[in-house]
Amino acid sequence: MIHVSRLTKFYGDYPAVQDVSFDVPAGQIVGFLGPNGAGKSTTMRILAGYLTATSGQATIDGLDVLWDSVEVRRRIGYMPESCPLYQEMRVHEYLRFRAGIKGLHGGKRRQRIDFVLKRCWLEDVRRQLIGTLSKGYRQRVGLADALLASPPVLILDEPTAGLDPAQIRATRALIHELGREHTILLSTHILSEVEKTPCDRVIIIHEGRVAASGTLADLQEKASANACLIADFDGSIDEEALGGLPGLTDAASAKIDGGVRLRLHAGDLGSLTPRLCGLAAAQGWKIRQIRPERPTLEDLFVQITGRETA
Amino acid sequence: MRATLSLIHREFSAYFFSPIAYVVIAVFLAVTGYLFALSVLQLTAPGPKGISYPMQLIVNDVAFWLVFLFIPPLLTMRLFAEERSSGTLEMLMTAPLRDWQIVFSKFVACYAFFVLMWLPTLLYLPVLLDWQWGTWRCGIDPWTVGATYLGLALAGAMFLSLGMFVSSLVKSQIVAALVALFLSLLFIVAGIWRPEMDASGTAYQVLFYVTVPLHFERNFSHGVVDTRQLILYSSVAFLCLFLTIRSLESRRWR
Ligand SMILES: Nc1ncnc2c1ncn2[C@@H]1O[C@H](COP(=O)(O)OP(=O)(O)OP(=O)(O)O)[C@@H](O)[C@H]1O
Ligand SMILES: [Mg+2]
Repeated sequence: MIHVSRLTKFYGDYPAVQDVSFDVPAGQIVGFLGPNGAGKSTTMRILAGYLTATSGQATIDGLDVLWDSVEVRRRIGYMPESCPLYQEMRVHEYLRFRAGIKGLHGGKRRQRIDFVLKRCWLEDVRRQLIGTLSKGYRQRVGLADALLASPPVLILDEPTAGLDPAQIRATRALIHELGREHTILLSTHILSEVEKTPCDRVIIIHEGRVAASGTLADLQEKASANACLIADFDGSIDEEALGGLPGLTDAASAKIDGGVRLRLHAGDLGSLTPRLCGLAAAQGWKIRQIRPERPTLEDLFVQITGRETA
Repeated sequence: MRATLSLIHREFSAYFFSPIAYVVIAVFLAVTGYLFALSVLQLTAPGPKGISYPMQLIVNDVAFWLVFLFIPPLLTMRLFAEERSSGTLEMLMTAPLRDWQIVFSKFVACYAFFVLMWLPTLLYLPVLLDWQWGTWRCGIDPWTVGATYLGLALAGAMFLSLGMFVSSLVKSQIVAALVALFLSLLFIVAGIWRPEMDASGTAYQVLFYVTVPLHFERNFSHGVVDTRQLILYSSVAFLCLFLTIRSLESRRWR
């Protein structure tokens, strides 16, 4: 549905997006994950037709976002990052206006407005001035606007930013539901977000490049490829003896308080533990603890992005 | 087409959300009302103090041109600058509208407000033109008034489109208003400052060609419609509309 190939965007001579390629098949929910300034919003703005790429190509539903811009925009519901709205309009007036410029009229327009007002829990505030709405409600107006013309593709830039936990949960559930009818590309810089939103696929982007992509399970597996066994011993041990462990690929030792910590990598971690215990018994090492360490998705994310982000 | 109408409707009603619109209308009506009243007195005054054309006094007045200079920038400053600074331009430019539709709708909306502002002045006309209810005729040739309104309509379009173009370039409404004011001043200043010049010299010819108040003083208010002036107004207006579309387009390439 969304096809992006070798997309590059320079702001002046600053490359915000470089050589980004990905595909979003119809009917999937794809999470776009990256730290601040990674280029998520820039990519989404290019897809939504607000910006033009410096080079590369993007198509939505087979239509080029540059050459068939208006047709593409008809097929997209876009919710920008900070959800800018006309402050001095009332919610239902605003939706009427947006429906009008999206080509909805008459009964169809009324019906769609009622539908999105209900869908985004806005019925209570339909007559309120947008300027007086709280951030969460404004976000919902933005989402309602994106849904108005029931476009096949939704592009949501940080749909849950700035919401309270209950709202985040409700929004996730809504996105999950919408995923049945729409192809969704959503962005976030919060990792737990993609773990909890029912994303079919995740694209991790860093410094304007795609750093990793795949299903959550894929990425989890990729992360745990780095799994190791941690073993702490009292006193000192003879590291030479470790050579006798079959299947060991890498071992590193470090001094800890009153003992030694070993980090052991092996093809098959499961069988390593009993062997290590046997070795320790034979050598007379005093085991303090043995535990496996499996890097989480978060560790992968930090490893990819190279800095500690929450 | 209906999408365009929706946008025009929103842009036009947006004027009534801001106090500036009401202030503009009030000041405009006060100044023109005063000048119309004065015109009526002078039209009936005997001797050399009087005036011979109904709109003559109004378009010769410095106060009128000051008001006319200030109003278009105040009406156009928000058109794009406000949307840019609040970010709503992103919403507008990702809606399925072509750039020219956006520019056209905004121009039509602010022009409609300009027309609305002038509408009450039509009420003065029966008095000014010495309308005879019995015979359904004017006591004074109405064409001098018609020509002046035609000129004002086109000159207004020129100043409004100029202001809109400036607004599409900057982010701050104040800057948009000031720059538009400065550019409009180029077309008006000689009418206020009135340099001593030889009316047959080339310098004066050039100055006359671009100075809007002089056009009204010498031509429109006398019922003379000079196509050179109409062409000047409409070509500047079209050029500015075109440049606004281009400026909006170029924003996508930043
Ligand atoms: N209009 C602009 N002019 C110049 N640089 C820009 C502009 N917009 C964004 N950038 C830069 O491009 C980079 C990518 O920005 P972008 O907004 O796409 O990041 P993001 O992934 O959406 O980040 P966040 O999670 O903070 O929203 C940033 O370094 C930003 O400073
Ligand atoms: Mg962003």
